Amino acid sequence: MFEVLGFEFFRNALIAGMLASVACGIIGTYVVVRRMVAISGGISHAAFGGIGLGYFLGIDPLLGAAGFTVATALGMGALQLRAKQQMDTLIGAVWAAGMALGILFVYLTPGFAPDLFSYLFGNILLVPRGDILLMAALTAVIVAVVAFLYRELQAVTFDPDYATVMNLPVERLSLLLLVLIALTVVMLIRVVGIILVIALLTLPAAISRLYTTRIWSMMLLAVALGIVFTVAGIWLSYLLDVPSGATIILVSTLAYAGALGVERLREG
Amino acid sequence: MSDNPVIEVDDVWVRLRGHTVLEGVSLAIHPGEFYAIIGPNGGGKTTLLRVILGLLTPCRGKVRILGSTDAAMRKDLGYVPQFRTFDFQYPITVREMVLSGRLGHITRRPRRYDKKDHVRTEEALETMQIAALADRQIQDLSGGEQQRAIIARALVGDPKVLLLDEPTVYVDAPTQAQFYEILEGLRDRMAIVLVTHDIGVLPGHVTRVACLNRRLYTHDTNEITPDMLEAAYHCPVDLIAHGVPHRVFSEHSREE
Repeated sequence: MFEVLGFEFFRNALIAGMLASVACGIIGTYVVVRRMVAISGGISHAAFGGIGLGYFLGIDPLLGAAGFTVATALGMGALQLRAKQQMDTLIGAVWAAGMALGILFVYLTPGFAPDLFSYLFGNILLVPRGDILLMAALTAVIVAVVAFLYRELQAVTFDPDYATVMNLPVERLSLLLLVLIALTVVMLIRVVGIILVIALLTLPAAISRLYTTRIWSMMLLAVALGIVFTVAGIWLSYLLDVPSGATIILVSTLAYAGALGVERLREG
Repeated sequence: MSDNPVIEVDDVWVRLRGHTVLEGVSLAIHPGEFYAIIGPNGGGKTTLLRVILGLLTPCRGKVRILGSTDAAMRKDLGYVPQFRTFDFQYPITVREMVLSGRLGHITRRPRRYDKKDHVRTEEALETMQIAALADRQIQDLSGGEQQRAIIARALVGDPKVLLLDEPTVYVDAPTQAQFYEILEGLRDRMAIVLVTHDIGVLPGHVTRVACLNRRLYTHDTNEITPDMLEAAYHCPVDLIAHGVPHRVFSEHSREE
């Protein structure tokens, strides 16, 4: 079963899965502790609008998605901070509007959108070399920003009021975190697709939370778990000849259920 | 108490969702004071604290900290928020949480803790008698221990004023007594502002009491006299014990 490693597409898939796991473990940790799961779901579905825009303009759909999700994340953040809009309603609107825009753009684009399905559900076995480089660059940016601003991000995600009293730039840091979430979502589209992004973003971090006491240790364990889940998922999907994105998500979900079950037993 | 005030609130008005929450509130807090602000729930006590802390911009009026309206002055304020206003499930140890209270003092970028920050943190942990718990997660502490960790975070920034919002609501009686003992020990280092609706817990050594119910009714004395305590405590005691707010208004209507 190891002869498959001889294929470049398979090695690319493993590398893409690992890069995505690093970004997921780090950013997913903030998403879980700050309870931003819903907003991340909204951002990821809004990405479909960007994919459609990419088709319409004839550029790389992933590039369209990157611009579109970052703009959406900033817009949502600004509305929440400034206009004090109720966030769950806002998320619902962005969630649906993003999908609707995507469908309209694809409809208006002449011809046929051949790999639309792979953006929705991911196809890690088709990640081209160029995308691997893009993912590596994005992961490097995420790791660098978080290493640089670890203390500030901790203060802002733990107790934003106190961070404000200490005169930290709370608004800018909150928006930065949303941008990082948006970039991570774009990376994950290749791996598991728009619809399944939210699970890979949150499940490794949520499991990690059960066994760790600090942000950095939670990130490290979440990254390790993400790598195990994606590699196991890719391998299983190859052996069973089933879609890779869905397999990765089901592996993660089973692990999460197992971890919760074990935790339950330990507590009695 | 001829020193310049550490906090000056000057004619502050706040309207929230169409309701006037604060109406022309002015007060000055001097070094060494133990200032208690009492009043019914919904009277605007937390709102006033949020204005002082810069978390809420008033529609009229100014707040000066050490004579300046600059936001950077807030680093000289220590804040103990109402219990459970933030997420205690957050993965953070007591030491990390207390250390984070130093961030306001760090000028280099990116912010890094230096030796002094760590020394101050250990001191604050000692002061609050939680040094032994320093490596525990805050979610694993008891309510009283969590409360002390929050105060340690406020102390670690060497504040000129410590502002406490309903600090004893979720704490049992023996812990409360211990808590006021600790506050008394801090008096020589900083002014203390205590906000509470529970008049029964006010310690004897407050130097000034004000009633807040949209407007601030101050009982202006520089020293504690039995008369002043009598006057200050009377109306709110009735108010809180019997829930008859009209008594406050009739008592204070002369001052409006």
